[in-house]
Amino acid sequence: MSLRTRLTRWSGLVTVSVRRTLSRATDTDQQRIQFTVLGVAVTIALLVVVTGIGVGLATSTTVYDDDVDYWIVPETDGDRSLLVATDQPQFGSVHEANDRIRDHDDVTFASPVLAEVLRAEHGDASEFVLVVGVVNSDGLDQVAGISTTGLSADDPYYDGGERTGEAVLSQSGAELLESPPGERITIANEEFTVEHTDAGNMGAGGVPIALVQLSELQELTGADEYDQADQFVVGTTTPEVQSDLEGLYPESNVHTRGEMTAAEIADSDISLALALAAFVVSLVIGTLFVLTTAGLEIVADRTQLATMSAIGVTTRSQLVLTGVQTMILTGLGGLVGSIGGLGLIWLTNTVAMETLTTEPIAVSHPLFVAYGVLVALVIGVVSLPYLLVLTRRVTGGVPS
Amino acid sequence: MAIPAPDHRTTHPPIVAATNVTKVYTRGSGPGRFGRLLGRSEPPTVEAVSDVSLTIQPGEIVGLAGPSGSGKSTLLHLLAGLEVPTEGSVQFQQTDIASYSTRRRTRLRLEEIGIVFQRFHLVDSLSARANVALPLVELGVGRRKRRERATEMLDRVGLGDRLGHKPGELSGGEQQRVAIARALVTDPALVVADEPTGELDTETGEQILAEFRRVATERTVVLASHDRETLAIADRIVRLHDGTIVEQGDE
Repeated sequence: MSLRTRLTRWSGLVTVSVRRTLSRATDTDQQRIQFTVLGVAVTIALLVVVTGIGVGLATSTTVYDDDVDYWIVPETDGDRSLLVATDQPQFGSVHEANDRIRDHDDVTFASPVLAEVLRAEHGDASEFVLVVGVVNSDGLDQVAGISTTGLSADDPYYDGGERTGEAVLSQSGAELLESPPGERITIANEEFTVEHTDAGNMGAGGVPIALVQLSELQELTGADEYDQADQFVVGTTTPEVQSDLEGLYPESNVHTRGEMTAAEIADSDISLALALAAFVVSLVIGTLFVLTTAGLEIVADRTQLATMSAIGVTTRSQLVLTGVQTMILTGLGGLVGSIGGLGLIWLTNTVAMETLTTEPIAVSHPLFVAYGVLVALVIGVVSLPYLLVLTRRVTGGVPS
Repeated sequence: MAIPAPDHRTTHPPIVAATNVTKVYTRGSGPGRFGRLLGRSEPPTVEAVSDVSLTIQPGEIVGLAGPSGSGKSTLLHLLAGLEVPTEGSVQFQQTDIASYSTRRRTRLRLEEIGIVFQRFHLVDSLSARANVALPLVELGVGRRKRRERATEMLDRVGLGDRLGHKPGELSGGEQQRVAIARALVTDPALVVADEPTGELDTETGEQILAEFRRVATERTVVLASHDRETLAIADRIVRLHDGTIVEQGDE
């Protein structure tokens, strides 16, 4: 057989397979064919959603937040959280800026935050602690996971009042310094009174933390000259405040607390693991599904395969028909699933933004359609050997 | 390919000949190695055709007659290369096809043998024209020629206006005519038909037989049937009973 004849035969077989598959999907064998397509589509849709969330984490656009808190940070400090960045560029005139933020109708609380690692002493105990300066106000329940209970409101020392010397220690700080409430401790040679100790709920393990008035910490560190702080924390009732916050300082970024968390998650490669796991699970489940449904399809088709064999269509050609049909069905399932997956991403984001977040949880991109179809075709390729063996087994003989 | 009908019985070598052919079927699967070790017995067997010899000349119309279970369909399948004999040989154009590989026998059927089944056995998801063109796809015929040839064949069996219809949209008689067109599209030397009117009413059956009469003017035809009307078109009737030939004679 010449090459041209072979090519003609191949193209003819592909045409027959396409016609046959489409006809069965829409007319003669709708249920079984549609079930195969649907199975692949559901698998791919889930893959696309999970991948969208994974990519969302990796690109730090994901937000998890239950009370809409914003962090305003200097631009170069955009993806660092409070606990890992204490020596970055700082904001100036922060008390004045803080007043402007608080004047916003939708802001429930706001505070500049200055963090420094300083030596604290009590009796014979001496430890380095993370000292965090804040301007306390109603609604500012916690900073760095430590309760602000015990700190006077509005940083009275900055307004020309008496130095308060108030400090709130984390549980670990209190234990290390052996300082229960009422004890006096020394931080950078200045005396503070432990007003309160708090076990806190932050994920910083046993890092000892001391919350103090912002201006009193500024004085200890020299940050009082330009009224400096590292960041602002803002509580608000509406995400629309974000754009106003972005205009506060020219070179600053506004993030939600969730973004900080998400960035750290992304740094730990969880997003990659998530996407990879979704790929592997989709491949396995999709393949098992195709093997089952397409396998049943081939067994049910045995009379037609025997007929083809009887009229002279070789087993090899029948394998081409089976192979093309499998790839068409999985490809179609991939396309439907990818589009469905993008729809699910939209739905997920819509629900999340209504109930949990201020920004989309998952990323949606047209490339996901190509990705979904590609994975579906891989499912088809992985399924092919078994389906071809099955075809070879059931074909031949005399059609009954 | 097509062979002229006249003076065929003695002047040409036989187109197909069965010599001492026996076909035994096994009911169920064998015991396997472990089964034999455990003393399981071999499954029962059935001898469908027993030591049959038959010669068919080019251009001849042969009718295989006999009651159900007499072995006529099995003999037809052996002559068409759909099955291989347990013993004996089947020679097509003087070559033993029992020794052929499955692939080679399939190729032989594609090029030289047209088959018509009792239940039509069309591919239900393809149109009438696509069904008829299917063997041409396997032969590597180009799309345009396939369409032309399939249309021509369907015109010849009176279905020129049913080209795009799927089998489910055609009557039983129309489906059988599509099957006949499919069997003839490669212009085979031999056409075998197993109970071609078995699923049809009398009137439609007569139409199908008329088609076979037309077919028979151009090629060799072997029909298996227990229907007197169907067998009436045969030049020679071979009567089988319990897998053996008990009688054969002209018309």
